[in-house]
Amino acid sequence: MPDPQANAPRPVPLPNRETQFFWDAAKRGELAILRCEDCRMFIHPPKHRCRGCLSENLAPQVVSGRGRVYTLTRTHYVYHPAFREQAPYVVALVELEEDPSVRLVSNILECAPEEAAIGMAVEVVFERVSDDITLPQFRPRLPRGEAA
Amino acid sequence: MPQPGRQVAIAGVGYSPVLRKSDYSVAQLAVLASLAALEDAGIGPGDVDGISQYGFPMEMVTAWEMAETIGIPSLQWYMDASTNSPAGITGVLDAAAAVASGSSEVCLAYRAVSRVQGHSGGRDRGAAVPGDMQFSAPYGNFAAPQWLAMYAARHMHEFGTREEDFGAIAVAQREFAALNERAIFRRPITMDDYLASRYISEPVRLLDCDLPVDGAGAVIVTTAERARAMKQPPALLDAWAFGTGPRPQWFQWPDMTNSAPIWAAKAMWSRSQFEAKDVDTAQLYDGFTIITMQWLEALGFCGRGEAGPFVSEGHTRLGGKLPTNTNGGMLNIGRVHGISHVIEAVEQLRGTCGPRQTPNAKVAVAANAGGPMAGCLIMYRD
Repeated sequence: MPDPQANAPRPVPLPNRETQFFWDAAKRGELAILRCEDCRMFIHPPKHRCRGCLSENLAPQVVSGRGRVYTLTRTHYVYHPAFREQAPYVVALVELEEDPSVRLVSNILECAPEEAAIGMAVEVVFERVSDDITLPQFRPRLPRGEAA
Repeated sequence: MPQPGRQVAIAGVGYSPVLRKSDYSVAQLAVLASLAALEDAGIGPGDVDGISQYGFPMEMVTAWEMAETIGIPSLQWYMDASTNSPAGITGVLDAAAAVASGSSEVCLAYRAVSRVQGHSGGRDRGAAVPGDMQFSAPYGNFAAPQWLAMYAARHMHEFGTREEDFGAIAVAQREFAALNERAIFRRPITMDDYLASRYISEPVRLLDCDLPVDGAGAVIVTTAERARAMKQPPALLDAWAFGTGPRPQWFQWPDMTNSAPIWAAKAMWSRSQFEAKDVDTAQLYDGFTIITMQWLEALGFCGRGEAGPFVSEGHTRLGGKLPTNTNGGMLNIGRVHGISHVIEAVEQLRGTCGPRQTPNAKVAVAANAGGPMAGCLIMYRD
């Protein structure tokens, strides 16, 4: 039986009150992470309260976009038709330079899947997927001075 | 401090048919397993005063539905658990707590799964994704095999664990499955077969994954005193625990070389009269082989980072020092989501496992789930 959803588009985030800032920042080309104004803890995924000091005084902070791959997998199975052409594709957890306890799920762009590795230095890059949604993504970070 | 409260025992266990494809509804499966467990204990629905069950929302057979269907006259304890609790063992742990506290005398616990009504690997398509998954699904990060693959990759990175170590679990469990007439996969496999099986999400291969089925398992939990008057020799619960850690979610877990099993194991051992060296057989969740490795380390059967060599040296095989997943595990009997690990631990303590029996098994552990969720128990026989 043909799959009626064989051409379904890639899933997109459904922002809510707590996450809207993240997607708005990405659309501007910035990576913003929620941070506690009182104890300075980063909170990601965004919540309405700081788990460190229980403050509700939280605000987005633009971060450098530099990080390292904590772990990754190359996904071969096609869970969703939008990823059929890409498989096998990399799903990585990237630790941010400002606070390695903040991890972002990302693909690794501009990189052959078999080249991506744990410990790899990466930097943010923005992938526009629709008028409304831009995804922060990561790509290998070149040593300072080398052109991408 | 020992586990407080009344002495608890498992007095009956049972399965429905467990099949790769069936015409059974999930409710029929739950009822078939529950009736089998009641018959095993030598009691009837009228003897039950508690129900604790776990099910995903779209396949849940509620306590009400069970009581209505099999004619339980009244319940003084009932709980419908879901999602982030540690799967099939959840109902058993909740029943144990209910019986220990005096809130229930005879509590039925079950887990029923359906490939049609429940998870089958399909995903909502083209959807806008709410909640924390909005930070994952847009990147093609959808499913447990991917998540456990990222835990496995970190274990390999830090400890030098090899793909062949995961393969050693798959091979050893198939050896047990060949001796278990209930298993679906019984043909022996070699390491070459394992290494030739396709990747789902590296390093997780098809043969690292449990087998989707329609099926159910059920357990009768009661006091040791009542259990001794029933049909089977009781399996006596010594201690049990749920567990999770400071960041209870999949991707922010601080040290992904292990996960919630660390916390459940620590809590369980703190209330147990036994130590790891006392355990004769272990039934450790094998939704994916990395989870079995996490439990081996979390429970202290080997050191942190040593599960790879431990399994590759053969210690979990038939005749090894810790026969593990002795029914073949869910890799081979099918994914009834952890209730099978409890049932196998009980049957090992009864000594009824035939050719796969661990000789003179007196103390057994059953453990369920991984990542941010975990639950485990330790049992013994008189």
